[in-house]
Parts: sequence; structure tokens; C-alpha cells
Amino acid sequence: MPGTLLTLHDVSLGYDGRVVLERLSFAVECGECLALVGPNGAGKTTLLRGILGLIPVLAGQIEYGFDRSTSPPGYVPQRETLDPIFPLTVFEVVLMGTYGRLALLRPVGRRQRQLAVDCLEQVGLADLADQPFWALSGGQKQRVLIARALAVEPNILLLDEPTAGVDPGAATAIMDLIARLNRDQGLTVVLVSHHLRLVRSLVRSVLWVEAGCANKGATEFMLTPERIMDSFGSLRGTE
Amino acid sequence: MNTLVEIVSPGFILREALIGSVLVGCLCPLVGVYFVLRRMIFLGVALPQLSAAGIAMAFLVYRMFVGQHQHFMPSERWLAMSGSLSATLVGLLVLAAFARHRETVEARIGVTYAIAAAATILFLALDPAAEAHMVNLLKGDILATTGPSLTLMGGVFGAIGLLLLAFRKEFLLVSFDRDLAVVFGKHVGLWDSLLYLMIGITISLGVMTAGPMVTFGFLVIPTLTARVMTHRMLTFSLTAAGLGAITAFAGFYCAYRFDLPLGPAEVALASLVLALVTTTRGLTRLLGKWGAT
Repeated sequence: MPGTLLTLHDVSLGYDGRVVLERLSFAVECGECLALVGPNGAGKTTLLRGILGLIPVLAGQIEYGFDRSTSPPGYVPQRETLDPIFPLTVFEVVLMGTYGRLALLRPVGRRQRQLAVDCLEQVGLADLADQPFWALSGGQKQRVLIARALAVEPNILLLDEPTAGVDPGAATAIMDLIARLNRDQGLTVVLVSHHLRLVRSLVRSVLWVEAGCANKGATEFMLTPERIMDSFGSLRGTE
Repeated sequence: MNTLVEIVSPGFILREALIGSVLVGCLCPLVGVYFVLRRMIFLGVALPQLSAAGIAMAFLVYRMFVGQHQHFMPSERWLAMSGSLSATLVGLLVLAAFARHRETVEARIGVTYAIAAAATILFLALDPAAEAHMVNLLKGDILATTGPSLTLMGGVFGAIGLLLLAFRKEFLLVSFDRDLAVVFGKHVGLWDSLLYLMIGITISLGVMTAGPMVTFGFLVIPTLTARVMTHRMLTFSLTAAGLGAITAFAGFYCAYRFDLPLGPAEVALASLVLALVTTTRGLTRLLGKWGAT
């Protein structure tokens, strides 16, 4: 599956006209697993939201190697952004991922239901399909949201801090799952993460975001102890 | 039992009022689902008041530029309807325009309510000739429901119910995960506008038919009851609508049987159901925890 899936040409991003990231240029190849890493407030989530089209590009251009209107990307948001007042089962949450390819007025059919079941099986939660989504643990909810993103049948999976707020065991399971999807299915992955230990062991390339700039390279060169110490002050808290 | 047989018989003198009550009881919670899920409950207080202010303003403007309107004429109802709908939609659009600033949402709704309440009283004070009659329109007089107004209500509420059913996946997506809806290329502004339009029409018709208290009561109370009882979206919506229709019918029965005011009887009954369901749920959980320990 050769080729470039995503290319940023001198892209500037920000909010309300205020530039957070300036003149970023990098590419994401098909089948790549890229982690966006950097200190808090550096603009990792801003970059992800820019790639997703959730915030306008202030300058430059983002080129997609796929048709976003017919084949939208898979997106896993931070689960705190979702409101627990919604009465939803695990299955209903995953089914929402199929809405991206459903035409207006076209109801959810057998194919979409089967796809949702398959995606739940991929994340190992098929037996929880009828459970209320909000009754699950943090790690399980995150895996359900990954299943929802897979139900989009995406070319690329974009995840915003998928291991935030979950216990270390669950964080490892989630990162293992993401690495497996990338390795076994060739799914291109871009994720924001603070878990540098897990990133180092499972992700091949890193985009280091800091002070409005970004540098991309192989994980072993980007996540050196010196750079981490420079940016985070200590290795504590980066796991 | 005789009363029940009487009110369900085809020749019942208040048949239109009964059907109107049940229609309001059914559709308001269906729309109210999005009020509760989008945490817009306070908006449910402000909008019926805005609707009332719109009715009062329409009468005042008509008197100022055309002349005194004729009471009990169909044109009066249309005038009130246009005022109610205009004020509700303008209020919704203004509130939606500032929707991004979530931190001040309660303040904006509170200000809207206060302005609308004050405006209603001022408009009424400026039109003293119509005041006594308009009070009936503003508080809603479901017993005065006629065949044509029932047909209009049935048609409009039916269309709104169908739209909610047909586009439920879009409304759910835009309400639950707005970012994902944008990623999927959905026009979230358009879906919000359609939802607000339906909310505006429902409230306008509801206020005209049953009054602000019943409209707000049925927007929120059966919906909250259903939320306690269900954990699926579709069953949530259907349970809310079903509970609303049943409590409206039962409220009508109680009001007729015991000679009570209709609106308060319906709202009190819906509240009683909410209290019962919440208490039962709480006790069940408590017993479950107690059993586990």
C-alpha cells in the first residue's frame, strides 16, 4: 500500500486568528504509525483538529490522499468531550461510526449492524454490546471509541490522547490494540500521546511538537532522554 | 369507569380538547429529548415565555397599525400564532448565535426569560382592551380547541414527529459528537437550524394550545422520567413520547372526573410519575448495593 496519505504544505493553525502552529510541513505515508508528542499546550490536539478539518487552516494547504467526502477518516476523540447524559449502549456508539458513509434518509441496515459487531470483536468487546456505554471503565470506553472509528472503514485513524485517564494496564492494552491495527491491517495511524514509554515501544515515527514548530523523525532519534528532559524537565509524568 | 367510557366515546363534548392534550403530551417530550440531551432545559423555561411575549406583541402591533382585532375569530388565532412563532424563532436564533460561548449560557437564558416576561406584561398593559381575552390565549386554553385547530396541530406535530424519526441519526450525531459530525461532512449548522425550527414550532403551537406551563412541563418531565428508565436512544425517545401521551390522557381524565384545572392536573400527574420512577430506581439501587454487601 505505497503512497502518501496526508501532506501538510506550510500549514499554520490556531484559534480566533491566533496562530498556535506555524508553517508546518510533513507527510504521512500509507501504513505509517505516527505519534504527535510534545509538552502540554504545544498544539498537538490543535494539529490533529486541523488535519480533521475541525478548525480552519490559517495558511498553507493540507492535501489528502483520499476522498474525505466518500471515505472520511476514523476519529477517536478524548472521551471526556462526550456527555454521559446520552442513553447509549456500546453497540449504538459503535454503530454511529457507520453514519459517515450512509446517505441521507438511508436507515442503518444489516450490513452496518454486522460491521459494528465485527469492529467490537476487533477490540475484544463484542460481549459488552448491549451494556450501557457509560457503565464501562475508562479503558473499555476508549476501546469502544476505537471500534466506532473502525466502523467508518477508514484509510487513516486519528486518535486524541487515547490513553489519557486510564490505568497503566488499560493504557498498554489500548496501545497494543492500536499497534496491532497498524501492523496487521496496514491501517495508517496518527495519535496524540503523553505515554512516551508506550510510544517508544510501539510507534515507529514521532512528530515532536513544541513552540509552534514540529519535527518528524524515527522514534529512537526523536525520543532521546536529552530532548525529553529539555521539554518535560524530568521523565516523571511522561510514563 | 363511567367517566372513562364517557371521555373515550366518539360523541364526547371535549373530544378535540382530549386529542389536543394527548398530541401535546406526545410531541413535546419527543422534542424535549433534545432539550434534555443538549442540556437546554432552562431554554425550555425561556422559550414558552418568549412565545407568550410574541403573542402579546402581535396583538399590540395589529391594534396599532390595523385596528382592534375580533375576538374568537380564526384570524385572531393566526395572528397569535404568527407572533408566537416569530418571537420563539428570533429568540432561538439569537441564543444559537451565541451558543459557542457555553460559559454564559445560563445567564443568556435567564436574561431572555426576564426580558420576555417583562415584555409580555408591558405589551398587555399597552393593549388594555384585549388584555382580559389575551390572558386566555397566553395561558393556553386547551378546552377551546376546535376541529380546524386540531387538524392544524395534528398535521404540524405529525410532520415534526416524522422529521425527528427520519433524521434521528443526524440529530443524534450532531447532538452527541459534533466533531465527528463535522468529520463526516455533515452540515451541523443546518441540522441545528432544522432542530431549532421544529422546537420553535412545537413550543409555539404548544403554548397556543395548552399554555407555557403545560408546554414546558411536557418538554421536560416525561423526558426526565424516560431517561431514568431507559439506556437506548430509540427506546428513550419512544418511552418519553409514550409517557407524555399517557400522562396527558390520565391528567385529562383526573381533571374531568374531579373537576380540576386541566393543565396543572396533567403536569402534577407527570411529576408524580417522575417521583415514583426516580424513587423506585433509587430504592432498587440501594437494595442492590445492600444485597451485594
